[in-house]
Amino acid sequence: MATASVVAQTPGARLRGGLLSGAKTAGSVAVTVFGLLALTFFIGRMLPLDPVLAILGDDASQEAYDRLYVQLGLDRPLVVQFATYVRDALTLDFGRSLTSGRPVIEDIARVFPATLELATLAMILGTAIGVPLGVVAAARKGTWVDQTARVVGLIGYSAPNFWLGLMGLVLFYASLGWVGAPGRIDVVYQWEIEERSGLYLLDSAIAGQWDVFADVLSRIVLPASILAYGALAYISRMTRSFMLEQLEQEYVTAARAKGASRARVVWRHAFPNIAVQLVTVLALSYAFLLEGAVLTETVFAWPGFGRYLTVALLRSDMNAVLGCVLLIGLTFIALNLLSDLFYRAFDPRTR
Amino acid sequence: MTRRTGILTLLLTTTTAAHATPDDVLVMARNLDAISTFDPAQIGEVVTNEMIMNTCDALVDTDPENEAGVVPRLAQSWEVSEDGLKITFQLAEDATFPSGNPVTAEDVAWSMSRVLQLGFGNSATLTEYGFTAEGAAESFVAAGPHTFEMNLDKPYPEALILQAVAANRVAVTLDRETVMAEEVEGDMGNQFLTTNTACVGPYALRQWSAGDVVVLEANEGYHGEAPAIPRWIIRHVPEAGAQRLLLEQGDIDVARDLGAEDLLDMQDAEGLRVEQTPKHQLFYMGFDSGQERFADPRVREAFKYLFDYAALADSVMSQSGIPRNSVVPIGAVGALDEAEGQPFSLDVEEARRLLEEAGYGDGFEARLFIGNSSPYSAPIAQHVQANAAQVGIDLSIERMADAQLFSAFRGRDFDTVMLSWSTSVPHAHGMLSRHAVNPDNADEANLTMYPTWRASWFDEEFNARVEEALFEEDEARQMELYAQLQRDHMERGPFAYLFQILDTAGVSEEVTAWPWNAFRVYYDDVTK
Repeated sequence: MATASVVAQTPGARLRGGLLSGAKTAGSVAVTVFGLLALTFFIGRMLPLDPVLAILGDDASQEAYDRLYVQLGLDRPLVVQFATYVRDALTLDFGRSLTSGRPVIEDIARVFPATLELATLAMILGTAIGVPLGVVAAARKGTWVDQTARVVGLIGYSAPNFWLGLMGLVLFYASLGWVGAPGRIDVVYQWEIEERSGLYLLDSAIAGQWDVFADVLSRIVLPASILAYGALAYISRMTRSFMLEQLEQEYVTAARAKGASRARVVWRHAFPNIAVQLVTVLALSYAFLLEGAVLTETVFAWPGFGRYLTVALLRSDMNAVLGCVLLIGLTFIALNLLSDLFYRAFDPRTR
Repeated sequence: MTRRTGILTLLLTTTTAAHATPDDVLVMARNLDAISTFDPAQIGEVVTNEMIMNTCDALVDTDPENEAGVVPRLAQSWEVSEDGLKITFQLAEDATFPSGNPVTAEDVAWSMSRVLQLGFGNSATLTEYGFTAEGAAESFVAAGPHTFEMNLDKPYPEALILQAVAANRVAVTLDRETVMAEEVEGDMGNQFLTTNTACVGPYALRQWSAGDVVVLEANEGYHGEAPAIPRWIIRHVPEAGAQRLLLEQGDIDVARDLGAEDLLDMQDAEGLRVEQTPKHQLFYMGFDSGQERFADPRVREAFKYLFDYAALADSVMSQSGIPRNSVVPIGAVGALDEAEGQPFSLDVEEARRLLEEAGYGDGFEARLFIGNSSPYSAPIAQHVQANAAQVGIDLSIERMADAQLFSAFRGRDFDTVMLSWSTSVPHAHGMLSRHAVNPDNADEANLTMYPTWRASWFDEEFNARVEEALFEEDEARQMELYAQLQRDHMERGPFAYLFQILDTAGVSEEVTAWPWNAFRVYYDDVTK
């Protein structure tokens, strides 16, 4: 056993191990993506939605219908259609959206940054408040701090984002005038902003367009806060639960017995031990936010991914739906891979 | 009033308008989800139709003050031949496209032929009056640089052709040279026109960012009068509550998708007003007459007694629609007046009597398909479901995506269905030609553009009477023929018409004129 262990530590073995691990991950990703493609395609074909009518309109003649049916390749065997779909998807060609008339990939490139920006800000706020809140609630279990955190979490869980959004607008936009109007950017700035990444805060800051930055910030802060509230409710509850488990461990008692301060025990001893679990929670929260919060996007007239997907679904725009579903799948895969990397960093046993 | 809007109303009483839009810009909030193209040959919904008719001149236009009339647009005058088979239009000679190309009769002829060749749903507007893709070259003729001839297969009434064809988006003139330079795989520029316009009108499309904003700017080289407001910004705001807040705060001038409660509250609000106009859109219930039970007109008529029109108008349809049983909407040439066009009311006993007479005294089971886009479908469906239960009819409601609903209706795969039908023709023939005429009821005829065919309803007599009324030269007699057709159609027709849909808008007092009718707002005449 000792010999084997020594052999495993050699650079060659480490490289082979790394390659094997990389190959396994790549294989796993490939199988998942293929499964996702098959699932989205066949569900799309099974739904009783008619893509031809969605394009032509209800009033079209049967001749026009038949012509487009053939043009779209819907007369071909399902296997052939699937092969074409996989081939096109691999080159990121999902066809044109019926909703916007543009290539789906262009639409996604436009709406995804809007959601990415909103979700990332919400995630930063949710994490920055949710994690300390959960830790403090656990460290002061049963006190008013814990009870307050619990109530805050409960409201975050139970209050619908739609309602919170509308009430937030009435209070902070209409009554107090603290935040900007619904919409991502003032139309005045729509043509001024120098788009690089599609993330308006970042783009306007890089370009030094501080008036645009202020406008964008005033508009994003409320929807991001509302989404962050939902996220922090989940994050704080999970953090509290993880921390309680750690604080009951013997090593915590030992550290306290050695004279370490309560804060040091909590933050330096116990907290690092919940990192792996916390990464999973954060990754899941972020993934759900990236799927797009359709109700928040609706209330705040936010041209994001969630609303795009919902409208596409309602209008039987299957090209857009398939492209979006695939992107969501890839997002989850990417966040899973990222979580794995963090696991390795935080937990030597997983290396 | 719902709880949500109640709270909103309470909170809004503490808010005041804090902003204002620039004088030379009109900012309008609207749900823009429906926009998918700016190609006039393909546009099939009202939101884009309104924009295209403000950016692209058709040959003539509906009169803003009298939607049954027409006024010159690209065509400055027109003349009908003695035999009624040719209309000659004289086009504006100084009209040029934004590209600088002059607008010619060749462009008009090509644009109208293009609609037929592409074959989208809009082509039915032309085929209905005998135009075909094969015969387009003979039907649409450039007789001179600015003289356009429209040759007809029958002597249709002049007013009808002008309203139905020449004022329609199918008669929008495109810049042939610009469009064909962008042709991809024989699409006649369809892909290019998805996100662009290439036509002449008071406004030009400057930007369309899907799901975000549409910007229109005054076309500086326009041959007609310059618009009063140089720029329109139409913002995508899907949520009615958010539209209301924006309007209350002065961040927008007009809100187009407000809810019934918002509109009611707004009627007394300071600095705001509600504008309302009936659209030529009817909300109706259809029955599959291919089934024995619905083939009996007494069963279909019984359903018309199962709606409490007045109660629905005061609740679910408040601010959204007015009761209407006639197939022809108010405002169209030949329409019955409000009282005569609405003879039915809730009468469960009468419905029961009709069903017993038809041999269905014990009732039956049936599915009722409804779509998911209109807010009133579900409550009206539940309303009739409850009343139908009183006469033994067990209606099971199935809600689905609109595309799925249309597919089932077109495929004759339904029992009963509830949906809307719009016409762009302010003439009795506009509705009767689709809702009373069915040229061939055979399955293989596949006449899916006729709701009558979808409902498997066929009546030779109605076919003949609609044709007779159309070509009746004595106007008074023609009106009487249309009136009688509507009365008989209400009694024996395939559908139960319920409501004529209203168009509503919340408008800031800054907007001093808001000219509109059943078909659109006239952006160039709006002032603030």
